[in-house]
Amino acid sequence: MYDLQLTGVGKTYPDGTVAVSDFDLVVEPGEFVAFLGPSGCGKSTTLRMIAGFEAISNGDILIKGKNVSTTPPEKRPTSMIFQNYALFPHMTVRQNIGFGLDVKGLSAADKKAKVDRIMDMFGLSEFADRKADRLSGGQRQRIALARGLVVEPDILLLDEPLGALDANLRRVIQNELKLLQRELGITFVFVTHAQSEALGLSDRIVVMNRGRVEQIGTPHEVYAAPATEFVARFIGSNAIIEGVNPTVEGEMASVDTAFGRIRGRYAASMASDAVVLAAIPAEAMRIQPASAAAGIGENRLHGTVSMKHAVGSVGHFKVDLDGRQSVDVQTSTDNEVLMQLAIGDAVVVDCPSDRVTLVGQG
Amino acid sequence: MEARVLKPILGVYCAAFILFLYGPMIILAILSFQGAGGGPQFPIIEWSTYWYQHLLGMTPPSRISRLPIGDSLLRSLTLAMMTTVVSTTLGVITAQGFRTRFKASGAVFYLVILGMIVPGVLVGLGMALLSNMLGIDRSWWGTAFVLHVVYTFPFAFLVMLAIFNRFDRSVEEASLSLGVSPVQTFRRVTFPMIFPGVLSAMLFSFTLSYDEFSRTLFTSGRELTLPLTIYGTFSVEIYPNIFAFGVLTTLFSFTLLLVYALLMLRAVRAGRSFKGQEEAV
Repeated sequence: MYDLQLTGVGKTYPDGTVAVSDFDLVVEPGEFVAFLGPSGCGKSTTLRMIAGFEAISNGDILIKGKNVSTTPPEKRPTSMIFQNYALFPHMTVRQNIGFGLDVKGLSAADKKAKVDRIMDMFGLSEFADRKADRLSGGQRQRIALARGLVVEPDILLLDEPLGALDANLRRVIQNELKLLQRELGITFVFVTHAQSEALGLSDRIVVMNRGRVEQIGTPHEVYAAPATEFVARFIGSNAIIEGVNPTVEGEMASVDTAFGRIRGRYAASMASDAVVLAAIPAEAMRIQPASAAAGIGENRLHGTVSMKHAVGSVGHFKVDLDGRQSVDVQTSTDNEVLMQLAIGDAVVVDCPSDRVTLVGQG
Repeated sequence: MEARVLKPILGVYCAAFILFLYGPMIILAILSFQGAGGGPQFPIIEWSTYWYQHLLGMTPPSRISRLPIGDSLLRSLTLAMMTTVVSTTLGVITAQGFRTRFKASGAVFYLVILGMIVPGVLVGLGMALLSNMLGIDRSWWGTAFVLHVVYTFPFAFLVMLAIFNRFDRSVEEASLSLGVSPVQTFRRVTFPMIFPGVLSAMLFSFTLSYDEFSRTLFTSGRELTLPLTIYGTFSVEIYPNIFAFGVLTTLFSFTLLLVYALLMLRAVRAGRSFKGQEEAV
């Protein structure tokens, strides 16, 4: 049985605005799923529909096999963590965490034991009797997590929970979240607009754009094999080159571009009678001085270096192909020959076909 | 305009404002300490607390009768408290209703606000005519009370509307998401957080009702409220005992404000992180 199942879920506002449409997803027990997309893509709306804060217009939501489409939020076995923590300002840390247990009909001793255990787990015991507003952002985030988890939900819903933290703290809490989820084995559904969070934390990513699901896959899948133009542009740093007239050979296809034929794996969104886009990951490309590059390598592109800089062990090149199109290339700074390349030098860039993805436009 | 010119003008304006705000009160306060034989004007023939004693019935009988305010004071306080409870409750409930947009919410909004903008004399007169037609006896606890609610409810409503306007809904959602019912969520999360607003709404309702005149004039029937009684004494002859009473009732109002300020301070302290959370977003 799936922990969470969304079939054809959609949300249309009374004024006709479509926030989400045709959302299909099944989540296995204990899975960590991230909804990733730009702001306004419908990811938060979908999360709020799962929590019950937004009514759904189409489709069904099932939690542990039970249809909860019309169940009010307080009767759903979900617990939500908010970006702004949404702590109760008039309560102490202990009261905040114990709040959800008050209505569960536990004995005072049982309740205290549960709250004590989770406060201990989150390192909050020493703050138990303080008001939440006296604590730092990271501590407040932990209170919010403890409060949401102590009621033992089937699914924990997290709405950009790291958004209000600074970069360092975000990394710390991010690691804690991952460990926590592994330990508890609770299903996590996590909403974020930061691809690093989604790629680093989740078992599967749902990439969304304009209320639609663009791709569902493991972090590696959405990174290495984007299904659509949107995913190719949104995740990683891909060079996108337009092509036409694809010819399919098995799992691979090749297209004609202004810079020669480009071969790669193709996604379902590629259509043979329309513009095809070749997505080439910056870190999969190899760059060589034109003089040194004898005919080796697939998908060779000729150009000149237009920009060059290095950050630690990673070198970044911008290679201009024809004055309008340029590609970004990442290399290791170990290579002496490459580091000696200067702006204006003629170079050849190439990329193995199995790292190139051909997607349909739009 | 240059600050050099503007500053003195604003200074004079401000001084005049303060003078007209406190001047009448101060004159009254000074005259309330008039001696036994003095009248309701300057000069002060002798400084004394005679009129305060007179007010409380502690002076030997004189030709000037005591202010007949005992019963009407009690009535006005009771009426103000009844009005406070009903208006604030209605204000909170209505503002809560307005948090989600509904059909004709605009019309309902103006309908509520109408209660505070229509002239009191008109409403009072209309209510008197209506109760006559329907054969309802006019009384301070009936017809007048209804009008007091109609009048003060919009104020309480507007205060609560402003409070809910900057209320972070996610706190309530957090509570619901923890399995707490909407009723319990309101009682244990929403209400404690909007309490400062509720206090303000109560203060508005109380003070507006306590010295309401025009609506009450036509609708209170035979038993008069305090403002009506005081007005009634003007028609005979004015003695400084009214000033003494004015000072006492002003002191009472200040006490009320002080209690309000203390409660507010406590509530704001308790809810300080409310603001902190907004900043975190």
